Amino acid sequence: MTEQQPPIVLVVDDEVQIRRFLRAGLELDGFVVQDAETGADALKSVTLQQPDLVILDLGLPDMDGGDVLERLRSWSTVPLIVLSVRSNEAEKVRLLESGADDYVVKPFGMAELLARAHAAMRRQVRAATGEPVVRAGPLTIDLAARIVSLNGSRVTLTPKEYRLLQLLAQHAGNVVTHQYLLKEVWGSPHMHDTHYLRIFVRKLRQKIEQDPTQPQILLTELGVGYRLANPEVGQRVAN
Amino acid sequence: MAWRSALRLDAVWRELRGIAIALLMVAATTVVAWGLIRYLDVRRGSPIYLIPVLLAGWHLGRIPALAAAIAGVLWSGYFFYSPFYTYFVARPAEIINLTLFMIVALVTSHLANSMKQQAELARKRENQMSDLYAFSRQLAAAPTAADIYRAIEEHLASLVQRRVLLFGAGRNPAAETEAPQPVQAAIASIQRGAALTTTVSEAGDTWLIRRVSSRTPDFGVLAIDLGHMPAVDDIRRRVDDALADASATLERLDVARALNEAKMRSETELLREALIGSVSHELRTPLAAIMGAATVLRGSPAVAQDERLHSLAGVVRDEAERLNNDIQNLLDATRISRHQIKPQLEWIEPADIVNSALERRHRRLAEHTVALDMDSNLPFIYVDPVLVQQAFVQIVDNAAKYSPSGSTIDISAKRNGHDVVLSVHDHGAGLTADEMAQLGERFFRGHRLAATTSGSGLGLWIAKAFVGANGGRLQATSEGADQGTTVSIFLPYNADANQPEAAPDD
Repeated sequence: MTEQQPPIVLVVDDEVQIRRFLRAGLELDGFVVQDAETGADALKSVTLQQPDLVILDLGLPDMDGGDVLERLRSWSTVPLIVLSVRSNEAEKVRLLESGADDYVVKPFGMAELLARAHAAMRRQVRAATGEPVVRAGPLTIDLAARIVSLNGSRVTLTPKEYRLLQLLAQHAGNVVTHQYLLKEVWGSPHMHDTHYLRIFVRKLRQKIEQDPTQPQILLTELGVGYRLANPEVGQRVAN
Repeated sequence: MAWRSALRLDAVWRELRGIAIALLMVAATTVVAWGLIRYLDVRRGSPIYLIPVLLAGWHLGRIPALAAAIAGVLWSGYFFYSPFYTYFVARPAEIINLTLFMIVALVTSHLANSMKQQAELARKRENQMSDLYAFSRQLAAAPTAADIYRAIEEHLASLVQRRVLLFGAGRNPAAETEAPQPVQAAIASIQRGAALTTTVSEAGDTWLIRRVSSRTPDFGVLAIDLGHMPAVDDIRRRVDDALADASATLERLDVARALNEAKMRSETELLREALIGSVSHELRTPLAAIMGAATVLRGSPAVAQDERLHSLAGVVRDEAERLNNDIQNLLDATRISRHQIKPQLEWIEPADIVNSALERRHRRLAEHTVALDMDSNLPFIYVDPVLVQQAFVQIVDNAAKYSPSGSTIDISAKRNGHDVVLSVHDHGAGLTADEMAQLGERFFRGHRLAATTSGSGLGLWIAKAFVGANGGRLQATSEGADQGTTVSIFLPYNADANQPEAAPDD
């Protein structure tokens, strides 16, 4: 993504009205928009156009959106946001584990979608350029130096606390599932010990949040996981 | 087969035992006979030996009776015929006499045995008749088809002392998987009207399969597991007797019509489910387009510059969101009445639930002042956080709806005894005692405000159900009309000892 070349987004949705507003909103935001109506089209377009972002609706006429996601992820790391009508948390977790960067539940506002999308694209850019510093409000996480500071002063963390924050920082602005965090911090046997996370996050919030009961940095996605506040837009997406 | 030889061996043992008892009876008689001769000088006492023969014939069967007769003849010869005290009989007349005794003994024993058998048969018939009579009375008193079917199952089960399965006729379909495959196939063919009755042998068991009614397969099909019972014909006759009565009663109740109605009802149910499923999709897709388009418009430079257009686009967005919430409420209400609420329990920070609910309703609350008061060290609770959050959202919605804009809504999360209490207090319409009593009933809406505020009357009912599903309770209090309302969710937590164990930190 450079100044000269606007980013390309592939919108995969079979509903024409949804495509229309997505196109308008995304173009206003500076994207070049391409459409696909079916899963097969989508897979072809990702190969040919090499978009910078994919927005994938799960309800497609020809194949299950989850299958499209899995097929796509077998060879592409393109940032991908899922549009879901299912507000079932287990379903969201399954999609995230299959490689979606984030999801929005229909109906949604454009700003929410853009915030998720930009966060996912920044992860991609960070991975490519090796940019080490992630900011979330007053919090700065230097992934190279392994230094966390709040309003400029260094925060002392245990190695596991740092590891947790590091994982969230790598996906800053996007949700990270409980299972992923548990597996990465405590190992596979503890994949379902969600209470480990609850206790750890409470301690971590006491160190980094101004009011730990009203967190602005380390946000909870009930039934799914945690999200580090979006560094650009702030924790709340206005629209 | 092993069980058959075991059966024969068993019979032999029974006969041997009978013979032993018969001989003991003869021995006892002999003691009496000896006493008669010794002390009373009775010389013609041989008929006394008819007593053990009769007893053996009645109680023990033919072979023990025969043994008693032979032993009796021998002892008679010993005691009552010259030369006395030998088993040898000298005089021809006495030989004839003994032979006659033998014949009398045999005939008597045979008669005794036959009488016994007839008496037993008569008693059995009487039992069957009284069973059938009791069954008929039960049928006559049965008010519904379900009662009749239950009576049929009970009666036949007690008749054969084995499993009786009833298929079709709106009965529990789970019963069908209990029967072995060939039996299920036979049942299916009878259900299609292939025959009235049939028998199937499966894994050594004989199954009798029969339509409940001889006239129509609509009343269902019975499968009776007879096990190794040999008397299939006898059972079949008795099942016929029982079912003749039962099917007549079923017809009297016009069960066929009722069954049809039940079928139609379940089809209506399916239709409703399909409708709700498609409502969720068909309404939400356009809603998603409306809401998304409104937010794009609102964010576009042309509209953003014009205050009126900007706020209009906001109206479209907010109303689309509200409509979506109403649809969600209808779906939730349906899930609740279909008992499809299955909490996914996990440990959760109570403040996370409150924050997440407020985040979801931040636009709704924009015109109120929200005062938050949450304890920083609340115990973790073990609930479905999403359900509790949805309940809390309903309460927040109500507070925003029934209190004037600009007023304060106090939201708190506190510990109270063994509960974590999440409360919403508004300075709005309040509740009269009457309204408080009805609050939380499905579709209840206060009359005072029904005209000026919209709503379905589902919100608190849903909240109550979701909180209840998590083992908590919901409480609404108010000082009275226009005195504000406090709605609290009480969620139990086990004592601090049962808090989740701390995670290993390196």
